[in-house]
Amino acid sequence: MSTYLALALGGLAIGAMYALTALGIVIVYKTSRVFNFATGAIGLACAYLASTLSAKGLPIPLVIVLAVSLGVTIGIGMELSVRPVKSTLTKTIVTLGWLLALQGAVGWKYGTQAASDQPAVLLESTRLLAIGPYILSKDQAALMAIAVAVVACLAAFFRLTSLGTATRAVSEAPDAARLLGIRVDRVNLVAWGIGGGISGLAGVLVTPLLGELNTTTLIIFTVQALAAALVGRLSSLPLTLAGGLGLGVLQPVVNRFMQTEFPSVRGVDELTALAVVLGALLLFRSGGRRDVAAGGLEPVPVKPLPSGGTALALGAGVLLAVLLLPLLLGDTGNLSRYNLIQTGVWALAVLSLVLLVGVVGQVSVCQAVFMGIGAYGTGIAASHGVPFLLAILVGAAMAAATAALVGLPAIRLEPLELAIATLSLAFTADRFLYNWTPLNGGDTSRPVPRPGFAEQSGAEIASGDRAYAWLVLGIFILAAFAVASLRRGRTGAALTALRSSEPATAAMGFSVVSVKLRGFAASGFLAGLAGALYAGLVGNASGAPFDFTRSITLLAYTVIVGVGSVPGAVLGGFIVTFSTLSFGASDEVARGETASQVTFLTGVLLIAVVAVRDSGVVGRVRDRFRSDPPDPGPLPEQREPLLVKAGL
Amino acid sequence: MAAALELRDVGVRFGSFDAVDGVSLSVHAGEVVGLIGPNGAGKTVTFNVVTGLQPATRGTVLLDGRDVTGAAAHVRTAMGLARTFQVVQLFAGMSVLENLMVAAHRFTSAGVVVDALRLPGRRRALDQARERASAVLAFLELSHLADVEASSLPVGQARLVELARALCLKPKVLLLDEPASGLDPAETADFVALLAEVRSVLGCAMLLVEHDMGVVMPLCDHLVVMNFGKVLASGTPSEVRDDPAVRTAYLGAVPA
Ligand SMILES: Nc1ncnc2c1ncn2[C@@H]1O[C@H](COP(=O)(O)OP(=O)(O)O)[C@@H](O)[C@H]1O
Ligand SMILES: [Mg+2]
Repeated sequence: MSTYLALALGGLAIGAMYALTALGIVIVYKTSRVFNFATGAIGLACAYLASTLSAKGLPIPLVIVLAVSLGVTIGIGMELSVRPVKSTLTKTIVTLGWLLALQGAVGWKYGTQAASDQPAVLLESTRLLAIGPYILSKDQAALMAIAVAVVACLAAFFRLTSLGTATRAVSEAPDAARLLGIRVDRVNLVAWGIGGGISGLAGVLVTPLLGELNTTTLIIFTVQALAAALVGRLSSLPLTLAGGLGLGVLQPVVNRFMQTEFPSVRGVDELTALAVVLGALLLFRSGGRRDVAAGGLEPVPVKPLPSGGTALALGAGVLLAVLLLPLLLGDTGNLSRYNLIQTGVWALAVLSLVLLVGVVGQVSVCQAVFMGIGAYGTGIAASHGVPFLLAILVGAAMAAATAALVGLPAIRLEPLELAIATLSLAFTADRFLYNWTPLNGGDTSRPVPRPGFAEQSGAEIASGDRAYAWLVLGIFILAAFAVASLRRGRTGAALTALRSSEPATAAMGFSVVSVKLRGFAASGFLAGLAGALYAGLVGNASGAPFDFTRSITLLAYTVIVGVGSVPGAVLGGFIVTFSTLSFGASDEVARGETASQVTFLTGVLLIAVVAVRDSGVVGRVRDRFRSDPPDPGPLPEQREPLLVKAGL
Repeated sequence: MAAALELRDVGVRFGSFDAVDGVSLSVHAGEVVGLIGPNGAGKTVTFNVVTGLQPATRGTVLLDGRDVTGAAAHVRTAMGLARTFQVVQLFAGMSVLENLMVAAHRFTSAGVVVDALRLPGRRRALDQARERASAVLAFLELSHLADVEASSLPVGQARLVELARALCLKPKVLLLDEPASGLDPAETADFVALLAEVRSVLGCAMLLVEHDMGVVMPLCDHLVVMNFGKVLASGTPSEVRDDPAVRTAYLGAVPA
């Protein structure tokens, strides 16, 4: 018992940092109704800056001020970039672009491997307090004090300053605030600036606790902040603080319990946070509802798939075939056949998102997780002697089942909430799922032997084999055809109807639950198939190609190529493949740098594409989309005499 | 014979507020019952309870004598229940014909796999749905609107299309929530004539919420008046019209 108490006490400091990071999210959400997924990435950038500056011997207070200034600047930059975007959900997707851009920029500048610079140690960890047998060190106490002080300052800001009052007004009723002459844009700018600064401060302070400074740890850290923010119902500062501290206390206790009972399970901290995220989302539903009504969460803005599904599917297939053909015929040219098989695989992954975002109308930030399950599932089936072609179907079916499971809360959640849940899942998968023995078989990678693979030499594998290329091509064409057909068929009709009006769709005799779940399962099946084919290509299943960054970039590419576009999926596949090329980089460090540059560019591209679209053509298309139900405006003068019936 | 639709002591409570408080009524096949009352009386909430979009806090809903109080909305639709909405809920991004086809798909079957792989059942389902939707459009003389994008329709036509969509479900019980609101007098007159025809042709039970007494009086066999979630009065149109309590609650709306 006392062990558990000591553990819990030790979690308070990190819990304070969860709370601090969460406050950065809450401040922004309160005013702009945008969920800032880049919070952890801002912290990352600021932590790296702080560590460089302190290595140069700058005094600690100056380091903190400079790092926080960077956070404020990034926050302001983000506000400016989302300002022209109309839907709050799209704005939230733009923050994912910032996450990528910041993560990429840091990796580009400092390298993706564990930083050579040590995290800046800002607070001495000398012993300070002894509470009975328990010891609280000075830095831990300071972190808690800082979190409490920030909450107090923010509360005072909201209560006592005129800008704070304006912020509250904007948060309660943006339109009314605008009418009262409050400059909503300026208020938003301030909120984003404060939010960015807090995120930066949290990043700087937490790095010593995490003990390592690299480009993923601080971003995965976000999952805990998401949990704390949701416990605070995205609005209450004290509850957010309590949520962060509570999670900090809960994690080491759960961790200790799992270590004794299930020692092989990894990523328990993230798993605990995920449980809190899901619990908070489902329990605090009513609060969320009200936010939705007030804050104008809108369905994903998409243009419907153009008609003529067959033509589309064939067009996409032909395009891919044309691109693949010279290589299938044996001319390997510049791009090796291996890379073109990859293109087919990634195109299939993007296609699964086109189905989910464009047709089902839901946002998933964990599509790569479905791929990972498809890959591991294929490996599991193969290890039981199932032939390869059947094994990939088993893997895809497992992914479909997982997707349906993820879709289950989606029945009750708004798209934004689902985005939060799926991103949390993507973070957790990296730490927990891909290290879970039943899935990976106790090793980081599980062999997935495709037929003939064992006999091939390294060079042959690297160039991919021709039969496999045809297989991937065939499956992609079939899948493109299937998505287009689905959209135009009975299920597609129900899915399109559902996006417009759930009550009316239910009143037409469709079960909302079953239609949504089938949409999720179909999308998960395609993603799982893509993962399975990828595993077959490289000969093994592992988590690395399907990490959270991949999940986010897949969504980014889907948005970039146009969420409703089946041929766009091919383009998306090309971009992903291109992004995985090493461009002659030979060692791990150089490869990390290239990957970071690509991540950075993807983020910037996503931000830019959304901004351009929303100010231009696509914005107009969506406006047309939004104008339903039709205004009960004046009726046209020449009304057709519809019902002049004889005998009536 | 059991009533096509029967409500027994239905109540819906939001927090401490009774939106619907002990409503009982029944509608028989071929009968048109008008549900009237001031705004906020609880008529739409009653509709939502009947169609399964809003769970009842108490009471029983029976369709054709069978208790459906706990059944999901789509199950009730399959039992012959259809409705229109006070705020028109046509599906955007679809043509009028496609809107009707969604309803007509109640009589078809084709799953995800059949659809995705274009197995034989897919064509059949689409053809059946299109055939039924076209027939209903023709019956309502709306065929010329088939390919128009539904969200671009003016409200008068949108209401007709929503009625058409409900009719695609071959309803045994049809609920109409303020179907004539937003229509001009000429459209309203056409609409009354149309509803009379629907009733004589289909012989379904109809429950009609409407403020326009010019629609209610000629169509309804029986009226139920709601106020503050309770049934204030019920009877034939003339009985209700002469009821002093109704006149007080509903002053001005009933032509003297
Ligand atoms: N989901 C809900 N939550 C709380 N109150 C509601 C809800 N739906 C309806 N109400 C309230 O119930 C009352 C009855 O509404 P309604 O049935 O729409 O009236 P009407 O008779 O005009 O159709 C209204 O006061 C309305 O505000
Ligand atoms: Mg109403």
